[in-house]
Amino acid sequence: MKALRRSHTSSSSSNSSSPSFSSSGSSSWIHLRSVLLIVNSSSAASCSSSDRGHLKSPWSRRIKKHALTPRQWRRLFTSDGKLHDGGVKFLKKVRSVGVDPSIRAEVWPFLLGVYDLNSSKEERDTIRTQKRKEYEKLRRQCRLLLKHSNESFKLNESSKPSINIDSGSLVQYTDSSSFEDVVSARESLSSEERSPDVEYSDDPCITLLEGDDSSRQKTTNTDASALNTESSDSDSSEDPEAVIQASSSSEGQEKNERDEPSKEFISPSRTELHLSAPAAENFATWQRIIRVDAVRDNSEWIPYFQSYASVSEDRACCSAEAVGLKDYEHLEPCQIFHAARLVAILEAYALYDPEIGYCQGMSDLLSPIVTVITEDHEAFWCFVGFMKKARHNFRLDEVGIRRQLNIVSKIIKCKDSHLFRHLEKLQAEDCFFVYRMVVVLFRRELTFEQTTCLWEVMWADQAAIRAGIGKSAWSRIRQRAPPTDDLLLYAIAASVLQRRKLIIEKYNSMDEILRECNSMAGQLNVWKLLDDAHDLVVNLHDKIEASF
Amino acid sequence: MTGSSSKGGNNSYDYSFKILLIGDSGVGKSSILLSFISNSVHDLSPTVGVDFKIKMVNVGGKRLKLTIWDTAGQERFGTLMSSYYRGAHGIILVYDVTRRETFTNLSDIWAKEVELYSTNQDCIKVLIGNKVDKDSERAVSREEGMALAEEHKCSFLECSAKTRENVLQCFKELIVKILEVPSLLEKGPVIIKQQILKQKPGYQAPHNGGCCS
Repeated sequence: MKALRRSHTSSSSSNSSSPSFSSSGSSSWIHLRSVLLIVNSSSAASCSSSDRGHLKSPWSRRIKKHALTPRQWRRLFTSDGKLHDGGVKFLKKVRSVGVDPSIRAEVWPFLLGVYDLNSSKEERDTIRTQKRKEYEKLRRQCRLLLKHSNESFKLNESSKPSINIDSGSLVQYTDSSSFEDVVSARESLSSEERSPDVEYSDDPCITLLEGDDSSRQKTTNTDASALNTESSDSDSSEDPEAVIQASSSSEGQEKNERDEPSKEFISPSRTELHLSAPAAENFATWQRIIRVDAVRDNSEWIPYFQSYASVSEDRACCSAEAVGLKDYEHLEPCQIFHAARLVAILEAYALYDPEIGYCQGMSDLLSPIVTVITEDHEAFWCFVGFMKKARHNFRLDEVGIRRQLNIVSKIIKCKDSHLFRHLEKLQAEDCFFVYRMVVVLFRRELTFEQTTCLWEVMWADQAAIRAGIGKSAWSRIRQRAPPTDDLLLYAIAASVLQRRKLIIEKYNSMDEILRECNSMAGQLNVWKLLDDAHDLVVNLHDKIEASF
Repeated sequence: MTGSSSKGGNNSYDYSFKILLIGDSGVGKSSILLSFISNSVHDLSPTVGVDFKIKMVNVGGKRLKLTIWDTAGQERFGTLMSSYYRGAHGIILVYDVTRRETFTNLSDIWAKEVELYSTNQDCIKVLIGNKVDKDSERAVSREEGMALAEEHKCSFLECSAKTRENVLQCFKELIVKILEVPSLLEKGPVIIKQQILKQKPGYQAPHNGGCCS
C-alpha cells in the first residue's frame, strides 16, 4: 500500500519540467497535450463503439419505462402478502428503473434486508414489533449514557475538562431518581409520540436496571471499566492495535480481498456487549460528534418530506431537548426535528455496532433514509441494513476503504490502460481522489433524488445477491449483467472515465484530479452513470471478481 | 514546485506554499477557509476526506500561491490522511473557543499528529481560536490560548469565520512567518523524496497509449 502513502505536496508535479498549476503552462506541455488529444479522441471512440456494440445495458430502456409504481408494487404480492417468485421480478424491476418516490418507505425495508423477500405479511408484522422494541431499548441506553456523560462533564469541568467518563460518576448515576428523569425525557421524544402501545415492563433492559442492587452495581461496573479503558486510550494519538492491524492487513491484503465482502462482515456485537470498541474514541466522543454533525446536515431533503412542514417550533425544540441537541437556534423547526432524529438514530447505531461507533459521513448516509421513512425505529433498521456493507467504509483499520479504492483502480486499469498510465505517472493510480465518493457513496456529488435512485439500484443488486439470485437466474431472464456487490465502485470508475480526456490532457497532479472529483456535484447524470457502470460490469465483472 | 519560483503566464508566482487546517470536528476549519477564499459565510456539511482550495496572494511584494488543505475533523482515517501532512509549510491549528474539549484535544491529539507526520522540520504553526462572535458562550480564555501557543512555540490569534474578524490576519501571520524561514523557501525535503520515489520508468511516449486491452 505504498502508493496510498502520498508524498505529494499540493503543488508538486511528478513531471518536473512542467508547471504544477497552470493549464496554460509551458510550451512543452502544450505540445504534449496536442499529441495526447489525437490519441485520446481515437481511443475513446474505439472504446465506446466496441462496448455498445456487443452488449446492451438494461438501463438503456429506462426512458420508455417508469419507476416501480404503487400499483405494480401492490400487484407483486400474493394474497398472504408474500412477494411473487421470491422477489426476482421485484428486484429486476428496481435495478432497471428504480422506485416511485411515493412507495419508497414501503419498498426500502425489503431492499435493505429488514424484511426477508420471502416473508409473509404476518411475519413482517411480528418482526416489526420486535425490532421496534429492540430499537427503543437502544434509545433508552443512549439516554442513560448521555445523562451520565453530561453529569460527568459538569463534575470535571473545572479541573480536567475532558469528556472522559470515570467509574465514580457512573455508579452515582444508577440512582433511581435519574432513571425516572430518563423515562420522562423519553416520553417527549418525537418519534415515540406515535407509539402508544410501547410496553416498558417486558423489556430486559429495564428489568436489569430495576433488579437488586448487587446486580445493578455489577453491570454498571463492567460498563465503567470498559469506558475507562477507552478513555485512557484516547490520550494517545495512535492506537497500537489499529497500527498493527493496518500493517498486517496491507501485507496479507491479497488474501483478504479475495474474501467475499459478506464473509468480511463481522456481525455487530449484541447490545449487551456495548462499549467494547478498541478505538481511541469512546461513546462520549461519538455522542459529541454526532450532535455537531446533525445540526449541519444540508437541508436539500426538505422538499422531499412534506410532513416536516407541519412540525411546530415547540415540537421541534422538544425533540431537540430530548436528545440533548445544542447550537440549533439558527435552524428552521423542520431542520431541528430532522437533526434530532439523526442524533437519536446515529447514537443508537453507535451502541448497536460499537466496532464502528460513529464516523463522520455516516450522517450523510442516514439523512435520506430519515427523510423517506418517518418512523425512527424503521429508519434505524433500514440504516442497519444499509450499513451492513457501508460500515466497512468507516472501519478504523481502513481495510474497507483500501479494498474499494483498489477495485476502482483495477476497473480503470482494465478498461482504459491509457488513462491508467497517466494516473501512474502522477502517482495517482491508487485512486485516492475518489475517496469521498467511496466513503459516502456519491452522496456529496449527487442530488437527493439522484442519490436515492443510485442507492435503490445498488441495494437491489445487493438484495439479489443476499437472496441467492445469482448469475443463472439473471441469465434465464436474459439480463446479462450479473448483480454485483460493488455496483457503486463501477459507477465511481465510470464517473472518472467520463472525464478521461480532461484528466489526461489537463491534469498533471493528483491534486487536480482530486479537485475535479470533489467538484462533480451537479455535473452528473445518474442514469448515464448507471448505464456506464453497467457496461463496465458486463465487460469486466469476471475479471475484477477473479482478482479480488 | 514547492517553495520555488515560477515565472510567466497568468498564474506566475514567486513561491507556492502548502498550508493545512487541522483540529476537531466542527471547530470551523472549512468555514475559516471559505471565509478567507470567497468572503462568504454559510453552513457547511462536515468535511469527508480532504479538500483543498487555491488562492493567490501578494505579501511583502511577493506573489504567492497558497494551496490550503482542509481535512476531516475526526481522526479515524489517520493513516490515509496523514500523508497530507507531508511537505506542509504552514499548519493552522484550530479550536472552538466555546467548546473546551476542542482546545484540550489540540495538545492531546493534534499536536502529536503534527509532530508525527509533518516532514518539514521548520514548518510554521499558528494557533487559532475560532467563533469569538459567540463571546457569551466562551469556554476558553484568551490567556489560555496564548499559553498553549507559547508552549508549542507558535503564534496565536482569535478569529470569527462568521464575522470574518481576524480571518485574513490568521493567514497573513502564517505567511509572513513562512517567508522568514529560508529553508521553507528552498526546495523542501518533499521534492527530494519525491524524486527518489520517481525511479519508475518515465512516461511512455503517447503513441503507445492504447485502450481497451
